[in-house]
Amino acid sequence: MIDPAVIRPEIALDDFLPIFVSSALVLIFGGFYVGIYTAVKVKMLKKWMMPFAYLFWLLTCYCLYIMGSLMHVGDFTAKALVVAMIGYLLLPHAVYYMQDQVHQKNEH
Amino acid sequence: MASNHLTGIGSESKQLATWYFTFAAILFGAQLLFGLVAAIQYVMPGFLFEVLDFSVARMLHINALVVWMVFAMFGAVYWLLPDETGIETVGIKIGKLLYWIFVAAIAVVVLVYLFIQVGPADETSIWFIHEGREYIEAPRWADFGIVVVALGFVGNLFLTGIKGKQTGIVTVLMADMIAFAGLYLAGMFFTDNITVDQYWWWWVIHLWVEATWEVYVGSIAAYGLITMIGAHRKTVEMWLWIEVAMLFGSGILGLGHHYFWIGTPEYWWEIGALFSALEPLPLVAMFIHVLYDWGKTQGAEMNAEHTDEDNVRSVIKNKPAFTWFVLNAFGNFLGAGIWGFFHTLPQVNLYTHGTQFTSAHGHLAFFGAYATILVGMMYIAIQGTNGIKVMKHTKSSIWAVSMITGGVVGMTVALTIAGYVQVLVSRAQMGATWAGYFDGQSGMWFAQAMDWRLIMGAVTFIGFLLLVKDFLSTGKNPVHER
Repeated sequence: MIDPAVIRPEIALDDFLPIFVSSALVLIFGGFYVGIYTAVKVKMLKKWMMPFAYLFWLLTCYCLYIMGSLMHVGDFTAKALVVAMIGYLLLPHAVYYMQDQVHQKNEH
Repeated sequence: MASNHLTGIGSESKQLATWYFTFAAILFGAQLLFGLVAAIQYVMPGFLFEVLDFSVARMLHINALVVWMVFAMFGAVYWLLPDETGIETVGIKIGKLLYWIFVAAIAVVVLVYLFIQVGPADETSIWFIHEGREYIEAPRWADFGIVVVALGFVGNLFLTGIKGKQTGIVTVLMADMIAFAGLYLAGMFFTDNITVDQYWWWWVIHLWVEATWEVYVGSIAAYGLITMIGAHRKTVEMWLWIEVAMLFGSGILGLGHHYFWIGTPEYWWEIGALFSALEPLPLVAMFIHVLYDWGKTQGAEMNAEHTDEDNVRSVIKNKPAFTWFVLNAFGNFLGAGIWGFFHTLPQVNLYTHGTQFTSAHGHLAFFGAYATILVGMMYIAIQGTNGIKVMKHTKSSIWAVSMITGGVVGMTVALTIAGYVQVLVSRAQMGATWAGYFDGQSGMWFAQAMDWRLIMGAVTFIGFLLLVKDFLSTGKNPVHER
């Protein structure tokens, strides 16, 4: 039997809008992070833009934190969200590295 | 006989692809039309009452959606097979026969939906009218027909892939289409336990759209990038394997977010939460993919021509198709990613599931993740069959893409507002009661949101008509380079 408190975390009425907005912003800011990072790497944007990419990743983390707190996520879900954020940070680096290596090997 | 993507003429496989695309476009129109009827019924509940009730209009709307996409998917595979394998598709005559069987079966099923609508609620209904499972409501006789057609299609794909050149794109498609066809079986048997029934039904719906269809999109995006901008095959194919790993890695167990409230064990909460949180990652990665390939290829072009950004020749050989492919990268991220993520964790999904939030997500995700890339493939086929070297935008193509996209985004926003009202009123304030269900839908915000959804649906339909006009007029349009 599940504890009723687990089934109904009882989100406050005023918290729904911040939850939806912050969860949408998680991916919007995440998209900016990945987009700016990749665009700088393929020289579509100047190098000085790169810190903005990481700034967006920090904003992504902050929004996820807000979202998780307002939703009253449990320990397991909180850990899952931290893992997801580390994944978001590392993903563009790993993908770009692999793409670039293949590109270099096959065209130069 | 193999053919180049720019000259589809002479390839029977490509001819069959155009048949598939044509029927897909007709069903796309039907989907929008029945969607409009259902949208009108939200605003005017008496509209076509007892002639074409909401339940029937909605059934036709969502089944036409799935079927036109399956037709376009098969068409896209028949289109790219000769290019990828270097040979004509093996067993193409059987492929053509199966196409006509498929078309005939769908036509009969639609006529039964339209004119018979409901049955006596026994085995007869399941066999001859419809099965009552959302999205895949085809009666059982048609189910068997679909399985035969799908197996024939997979047979064509495998025999051609084994006999011809085995590129990464074809290899991924071969594996993916086996899963695609096999998963359909999970939605074919009947059980009188609704939990068990839903459990297996989700195998078809979720594992199609969030696993096998997404992998399919990855393969088609790879083919499109090579075809339209000359992206380097090894880079694209290496990327495709990463996408496959990520999509299956997160998508398969992301299935858990459908098992929160249907009577399955509570461990699905944790599984669903973890893998749903990871599901946007491959969508973000797809976004990098398109940006990377475009940036690198355009950069190489600039270096080769020793010129600057303003004067460089575009590497894009089919602008309308490329526009739809770029929309796919954004749309997948927005519709499946953002609109999926913000109601995927169980703590908030408790309040949002079954509201118009789901509908908002469904509209933008199906459009962004699948409709866009399939329309893009239709443009590639039109370029090929008309022998066009560089296909440019026309007024119709620009208006079509703008109105369809604007219309779908508008519907999504309207449905999100309606869903938000339902979450607050029907669920949070009134505790998902019967009275709460009706109160949530009788407020001004909900009603106005439904008005806007109808207006935006009409905008989408006009955009579709312009798209068809552009398809039909391309052959004679002098703006394209031949």
